Amino acid sequence: MGGSEERVVAVIMVGGPTKGTRFRPLSLNTPKPLFPLAGQPMVNHPISACKRIPNLAQIYLIGFYEEREFALFVSSISNELRVPVRYLKEDKPHGSAGGLYNFRDQIMEESPSHIFLLNCDVCCSFPLAEMLEAHISYRGMGTILVIEVSPESANQFGELVADPVTNELLHYTEKPETFVSDRINCGVYIFTPDIFTAIQGVSSQRKDRATLRRVSSFEALQPANRSLPSDFVRLDQDILSPLAGKKQFYVYETTDYWEQIKTPGMSLKCSGLYLAQFRRTSPDLLASGDGTKNAAISGNVYIHPSAKVHPTAKIGPNASISANARIGAGVRLVHCIILDDVEIKENAVVIHAIVGWKSSIGRWSRVQASGDHNTKLGVTILGESVTVEDEVVVINSIVLPNKTMNVSVQEEIIL
Amino acid sequence: MKALILVGGFGTRLRPLTLSVPKPLVDFANKPMILHQIEALKSIGVTEVVLAINYQPEVMLNFLKDFEAKLEIKITCSQETEPLGTAGPLALARDKLIDESGEPFFVLNSDVISEYPLIEMIEFHKSHGGEASIMVTKVDEPSKYGVVVTEESTGKVERFVEKPKLFVGNKINAGIYLLNPSVLDRIQLRPTSIEKEIFPKIAAEGKLYAMVLLGFWMDIGQPKDYITGLRLYLDSLRKKASPKLATGTNIIGNVLVDESAKIGEGCLIGPDVAIGPGCVVESGVRLSCCTVMRGVRIKKHACISSSIIGWHSTVGQWARVENMTILGEDVHVCDEIYSNGGVVLPHKEIKSSILKPEIVM
Repeated sequence: MGGSEERVVAVIMVGGPTKGTRFRPLSLNTPKPLFPLAGQPMVNHPISACKRIPNLAQIYLIGFYEEREFALFVSSISNELRVPVRYLKEDKPHGSAGGLYNFRDQIMEESPSHIFLLNCDVCCSFPLAEMLEAHISYRGMGTILVIEVSPESANQFGELVADPVTNELLHYTEKPETFVSDRINCGVYIFTPDIFTAIQGVSSQRKDRATLRRVSSFEALQPANRSLPSDFVRLDQDILSPLAGKKQFYVYETTDYWEQIKTPGMSLKCSGLYLAQFRRTSPDLLASGDGTKNAAISGNVYIHPSAKVHPTAKIGPNASISANARIGAGVRLVHCIILDDVEIKENAVVIHAIVGWKSSIGRWSRVQASGDHNTKLGVTILGESVTVEDEVVVINSIVLPNKTMNVSVQEEIIL
Repeated sequence: MKALILVGGFGTRLRPLTLSVPKPLVDFANKPMILHQIEALKSIGVTEVVLAINYQPEVMLNFLKDFEAKLEIKITCSQETEPLGTAGPLALARDKLIDESGEPFFVLNSDVISEYPLIEMIEFHKSHGGEASIMVTKVDEPSKYGVVVTEESTGKVERFVEKPKLFVGNKINAGIYLLNPSVLDRIQLRPTSIEKEIFPKIAAEGKLYAMVLLGFWMDIGQPKDYITGLRLYLDSLRKKASPKLATGTNIIGNVLVDESAKIGEGCLIGPDVAIGPGCVVESGVRLSCCTVMRGVRIKKHACISSSIIGWHSTVGQWARVENMTILGEDVHVCDEIYSNGGVVLPHKEIKSSILKPEIVM
């Protein structure tokens, strides 16, 4: 398949500043999509995956951030990947499907035959070329990437049931209270342009119901419909749920890793997952060293070329060091993300932490946490320009930007 | 006459409020903190105020444009590229502070709210003929601060003792100085502390004098002191029989209500409350010892005490908010929620009660 008529467009939803408060304090200084995982901005990972799509014409980033926050990134990534990338700012919330519909004119500019929709804060292997092939064979309106999870955790997501032979989507429920299925929606989709017709159908139906409401007071009492404007369309509740079982949607199952990057703690875990992916697909991106000429490296480690690491330091596993960082003699870094311009002085130890841009970690100081990515204080987060003085210990804590830690703390949020 | 206001840095102790605006622009008694000081300076004839800042100059400069015109006083910024401490900024602003007149200039600390007896300070400075005058204030717990030990009769400063462990005196540096231009010759352009390096030298030469500030004084750089400071400030308005204080059957004690704010029926407001512009307080609301900033809506039957409600937030019906709850900008507390000391960052919705003091990010 994939004749010269096939043109594919990818749309990545990147969210906005007031929506994702769970990513604080890191999002206080940087838009979450630009936060680095395994040395590259979060949104780079789905964008790079899109490069593997045959006949990719254009990538759109849709979000609520100001254009200027993405201007620099978008122009440099367009140059680097040699694929046009554009940022489109939503003026108001339209829901997960409404946002796509809102920009249908731009998206359909190149008359694509297929449209990928990805969420920026999803961490996975993005098997997009395989999804495209499967979708073409199913001949439906859309194909959803799904993954099997533990039954206990399934209800945090959209649960779905699919026909094991035809892979048709039979049933879809968002965050159900009782167990429906252990297959969940990964937040990666591929559609044909008919999706816009389906979204418009929901909008008009809602508009009609709104005029009907004046006639039927029972309708007016339905909380689900009462407060949603007609152009607010959610992909899950308004499209997938009603159209399941009607031979419109299909599933493609992945058995690779999948996580959502909602909190700083999860970003550390996902950085590790991407580092492991680099080990498989592009090992030359990772650092190596045995402690003689270069620092000793254990496991998967990314070190930006401009960072300086003393040969007596020991780095890894799962460490990511960004531009212009300076790692001093005898420093030990394990399970951490060290951001730009950080200075870590001699013999300091950092375990299960994220050290914010321009921060300074003193000699013999210790910045660590339990490493439980799911609890609020399970990964220690130091915001931008935080100073930890010599010999101070910071455990299971979050420190907001521009603070100086001159006494040791545990289990605290320092504003 | 000229003045310098030390605005300094990030105002981290006043977070989450300072996550939305720089500290000098945080409202106190319905006016940006720094405006209290600029107005006090203007009223005694200061013609130019220099703000020594090192954070968010664009935000400050925008704000200042409005007030320069309204107040008819010249306001400029002196921006530090690296933190210069409490004396370094004076060296940086040297050219703005000295002119041919050779007059002394004021230096104020932007976190301080007080009576500002500046005319009296000028008289005091002239009468002792020394090089520098500093205002001191009496406090209950001097070892939290730097104590200034003076000669009783003349006010000549003998020495400074930083956070003394044993009692040496109960007067502390109030952060208001009147300095001769020659003081600038003593300050190099590098991070320098005025209390630790410059003043002790001037004191050793017998040229530093301290005047006791009568009237209220508070360092409102952190939420607890901000709330106490409001009580002292409103009390001083009462002593002056200020018409700004609200009156009415639903008002207890000292209360400030902006003229554009609306208060519903059956409310009980006060004591020690400030309600900002555009606020809507619905019926049956109880407010005490709190600040309600611009654009806030307090819904029916809610009860708020000892708290600060940030700009454009809402507090739901029957909600109870107390014990040093600080809501940042655009925070929405749902109906019937209880917050005991919650500190909430901007743009959040509180859907479940906060039973003990907690930071909500």
